[in-house]
Amino acid sequence: MSAPLVIFDKVQKTFGDFVAVKELDFEIREGEFLAIMGPSGCGKTTTLRMLAGLEAPSVGEIRLNGEIMNDVAPHERDTPLVWQSLALFPFLTARENVEFGLKMRGVDKAERKERALKWLGKMGILEFADRDISTLSGGQKQRVALARSLVMEPQILLLDEPLSALDAHLVIRMQAVLTDLQRELGITFVYVTHSQSEAFAMADRVVIMGNGEIAQIGSPKDIYRAPANQFVAEFVGRNNILSGTVTKLTDDTARITTPSGEFTVPTNDVLLIEGHTASFVISADLVHISIDKPVGDNAAKCKLISEEFVGSMVTLFLEDAQGHEFKVQMQERELSKFDLNSGDEIWLSWDTSSAHVLNEG
Amino acid sequence: MSSKSGRSINIYALTWRLPIIFWQFIFFVGPVLFMVAMSFFLVKNYRMTEAFEFVNWSKMLSRGYFWDSYWYTVFIASVSTTCAMCLAFPAAFALAFRASESTRRWAIFLLIIPFFTSYLVRTFSWFVILSESGVVNAILGYIGLGPYTMLNTNFGTLVGYMTLTLPLVVILQTVTMANIDKTLVEAARNLGCRPLATIWQVILPLSKTGLIIAAIFCFILSFGDFVAPFYLGGSQEPTLPILILDTTKSGQQWPRAAVVAIMMMLTLFAIAFTGIALAYRKRKGAK
Repeated sequence: MSAPLVIFDKVQKTFGDFVAVKELDFEIREGEFLAIMGPSGCGKTTTLRMLAGLEAPSVGEIRLNGEIMNDVAPHERDTPLVWQSLALFPFLTARENVEFGLKMRGVDKAERKERALKWLGKMGILEFADRDISTLSGGQKQRVALARSLVMEPQILLLDEPLSALDAHLVIRMQAVLTDLQRELGITFVYVTHSQSEAFAMADRVVIMGNGEIAQIGSPKDIYRAPANQFVAEFVGRNNILSGTVTKLTDDTARITTPSGEFTVPTNDVLLIEGHTASFVISADLVHISIDKPVGDNAAKCKLISEEFVGSMVTLFLEDAQGHEFKVQMQERELSKFDLNSGDEIWLSWDTSSAHVLNEG
Repeated sequence: MSSKSGRSINIYALTWRLPIIFWQFIFFVGPVLFMVAMSFFLVKNYRMTEAFEFVNWSKMLSRGYFWDSYWYTVFIASVSTTCAMCLAFPAAFALAFRASESTRRWAIFLLIIPFFTSYLVRTFSWFVILSESGVVNAILGYIGLGPYTMLNTNFGTLVGYMTLTLPLVVILQTVTMANIDKTLVEAARNLGCRPLATIWQVILPLSKTGLIIAAIFCFILSFGDFVAPFYLGGSQEPTLPILILDTTKSGQQWPRAAVVAIMMMLTLFAIAFTGIALAYRKRKGAK
């Protein structure tokens, strides 16, 4: 589970003057589901393409199973990729698409057919084996694309935003298909996406990238509860970020004075200096609301701006007197006890332990 | 009310269509019909007289020299098409896959330039290059080769055909291949396809329609060309266009020339039709 399958060793990639990837230094463990997430242009697709050999690193080394892969041609690698556009061959049937890689590897006709049909069956689209690609639906094409890569029985499967073209309800279904497959096959999945929900729903570990650099690597929970820096905190969203000056330090807590008030935060292991600026986050779902001023250190008076319902969850958007924006996430049935309207003033509060101090930078 | 507005739209559309319909009738359908009629006319005392006799058809189609010429023309136009498609492919491939967008734009612009000057002028310029005392033989002479006879041979004819067709074929092939989704080529590489094998496995299947259309154009232009076989090929083995010229000159046999012309048109119709059917053919088994 924990042996490194892939090592990115100080990898850099430049296109002319443009630096796509600044310095990548991370490992992909055998058998894990790793998501690489970041805003568009952050270098996540370039990272995946380097792993597939479609781009060569400008500096640094990529090692697979301990072997340096920099000069290995894409067709000599065993790193099948599921493309964002699916990239199915329109002149071949579903089965011929799945057979393509085996044919290139010189597998004989009978075995090719057998293996292709086995995988089409596994993906639940056996009945469409002899259909033209253009006659298949989005979800069916998706399954052909997966079968085409998995039929190679690779050690590692690369996925480049494969679900971005699907309808929302299909995305949820395909997520389940992918996690089940990954668990069943035990092979390593590297999944590039800009969607937080996809990454958090499926991945064992998430790599957050920004501006060609790794901002944080960790489990979805780590990244959600303890973002390493402001970039991650903002990217992950549904976070309240406050910045201010450190006014008082004790052993394990600090007082931070912000325009929105004075708050106590646990210092964890972050180095804070009195008089310097610091930022901290509170996840939107850890904030309580009340009509009356609550007791305790951490409270802010805010005006309700709007509400957003997603199923039984509701997100409140609020603003304090200084115009700083707050978000609160809670169950709809809890909120209904309050009978709030836009413009109403309420108090927000949270436990000191809910706050998380950010490393600057 | 709706039928009235529907009619007025039809008149509007018809007004725009009329010029092209007129044009087609006056300069294409009309002449073709007249030519078909003419192929049944008779020539008496060097003058054409209206008639409806099959004698021109039976005379022409029973002559060995007609069929020699016919098959020679089919052959040389096929060779021309094969040469043009093969010579153009590496250039078009490089322009489509290796060159930058701006290089490709410039290349296509430069490929259009040959059409600025008359084909006849371009053909004559080959005399300077290909004649016994021409540029090519002079250069070969330095390394002790030649002189080679290149004019008035099949080679000369082919050089002329290439002058006519090659720029067009390169343009058509380039545009076709430049429109291929590059991701599909990368996907093939990702699945273990060697760089050169992608041409056969992915690029040719994806550009089939465009390549067949380029080949059809090349065949039609070569098949009907008079200049290259006449001036560079020396018309020793007459192609059909030369046969038409000879037939009209010898004894004012316009009706027999019409027979040759109709045979040419039928051949080109058959070739173009088969080609386009092939280009747009659905895969068998496709539902």
